[in-house]
Amino acid sequence: MFYPALLGAALGYSVVLALSDSPGIQLAALVTGAPAACLLTVCAGLLAFTLPWIAPALTAVSIVHERELGTLDLLRATLLTERSIVLGKLGGSLARMWPGILTLALLAPFQLVWIGGTGWSLYLPALAAEPISTTQILWLFLAGLAGLLKPFVDLVLHAAVGLFFSVLARSSGVAVAVSYGAVIVVRVSLWLVRYLLNVVLMMRGAIIGASESALGDVGMISALTSLGVVLVELVGAAALVWGGIWWLKRA
Amino acid sequence: MMPHEAQEPTVIETKGLTKRYGRLTAVDQLDLVVRQGAVFGFVGPNGAGKTTTMRILATLLRPTAGEAWVAGHSVVAERRDVRRAVGYMPDFFGVYGDMKVWEYLDFFAACYDVPTDTRRRLADDLLELVDLAHRREDYVDALSRGMKQRLCLARALAHDPHVLILDEPASGLDPRARVEIRELLRELRDMGKTIFVSSHILSEIQEVCTHIGIIEEGRLVAVGTMEDMRRRIHAQRVVNLGLIKQSAGEPASRRTVQEAQIWLAGRPRVSEVEPVAADGEGDLQLTFAGDDQALAQLLSDMVRAGFPVVTFRERTGDLEDVFMRLTKGVVS
Repeated sequence: MFYPALLGAALGYSVVLALSDSPGIQLAALVTGAPAACLLTVCAGLLAFTLPWIAPALTAVSIVHERELGTLDLLRATLLTERSIVLGKLGGSLARMWPGILTLALLAPFQLVWIGGTGWSLYLPALAAEPISTTQILWLFLAGLAGLLKPFVDLVLHAAVGLFFSVLARSSGVAVAVSYGAVIVVRVSLWLVRYLLNVVLMMRGAIIGASESALGDVGMISALTSLGVVLVELVGAAALVWGGIWWLKRA
Repeated sequence: MMPHEAQEPTVIETKGLTKRYGRLTAVDQLDLVVRQGAVFGFVGPNGAGKTTTMRILATLLRPTAGEAWVAGHSVVAERRDVRRAVGYMPDFFGVYGDMKVWEYLDFFAACYDVPTDTRRRLADDLLELVDLAHRREDYVDALSRGMKQRLCLARALAHDPHVLILDEPASGLDPRARVEIRELLRELRDMGKTIFVSSHILSEIQEVCTHIGIIEEGRLVAVGTMEDMRRRIHAQRVVNLGLIKQSAGEPASRRTVQEAQIWLAGRPRVSEVEPVAADGEGDLQLTFAGDDQALAQLLSDMVRAGFPVVTFRERTGDLEDVFMRLTKGVVS
């Protein structure tokens, strides 16, 4: 019931917002965090955080459960390739989360106030005061894009971690426990990298001051950091899925 | 080898097939040929390497050394072609409990690229074959062990393979279910399928097999047609003989069991002369390599030598004896 209720609420809110008078008001609500948008932002944020953490629970049991049932050998003896089994399990697990993913996709635009993490949104007031160049807008757009993609990429990465250990493990319990352990390690590592980059970013911002150049600089570094993390996560997810396929093949 | 057999094409062939797990050699230089239409019984004690061999033939394991071909395709280089030709049934059920019987067959038929429009009819035909048509709409979990095993056999037939690799199909089943599986194997043999079936109990499958291969510690210790195996029994006859027992107080004029044992051990064609009872008294058992005439000669020689023979009976052996004699039971 959780997903349908959330989906219904999100759709309802979207309709209300779409029917409200001025697009300008909606935009203002997005930027300033007015109550209506604020609630949606919180929902989106919570969902962006929780969905990736649900994924390993589904993927970590997917293949090892087949092994426990004794059906993995049967599947491997058919014309299905190891690649199609692993990718099918990944797709199937993500498909089970479709209401959450759809809701997040609908709510994602409301996360704009959190674009690029903790860094550059502090400088938003400067947006109104300073004239913005095209390059700055591009960097801000890229940072926003990375911020929008981040929860989905997190989801895929966590799912891939679960899937990888599902291929390796001999029991569901072990697969789930090791997957969550591995996800925590991955998250802490990525957070540390990001934190260090942010420290560098903030220090540079403080030295230069909230000038036009600072905004551009901050926007660029924020965008590059966010896109870099997204890219690293995507590459990591692909490597884990490939590793799972390889492991299954080598048996 | 039967005269017509040489013409039959080879369906399964292994050459020097070896599989090692670290220091353990599960299959050791296995050379095997199974011809089209044969029902090859692969017999050996638990842990002899039967399942490993079958998993290699079903492309689920890669051999450490050697090669194997099924239906003319290499199990290493042409796995997809092998899978298309083989119906594999492992030594466990492997069922999805939350699926209905027909859904289970439909799902696996889809995994074998059977077109959607033929799958429904195929499921019905297969269920008819394994006598489960009346359980079509039941959940797989609700089936008995014997029914699950028959369903697994139907699953292995979903893509109409001409080779069946069946690992211990009768294992863990009650006598009735075992008979049903045997009947099914007979039916499949009549349909022209080549069947490679394993069991650790020879008597379970000897009735349906055309060929037998006995494996122990990863090595093939005997292989041949059923006729070959039966001939081996006759070549190595087991005879039980009994002498009149000496009662207390009786003059020790009669020759004793111990003397008979020594005398027999020195005769040609006689081997393994042992007392049946552990205390060394009573009947003797010996292995004799010779025909009926030679056996009758041995009896008359014994009587002439003064042994008071009262029973002289050949044990009517079956293939189980060959199995017991050839395998040492070191891995069971």
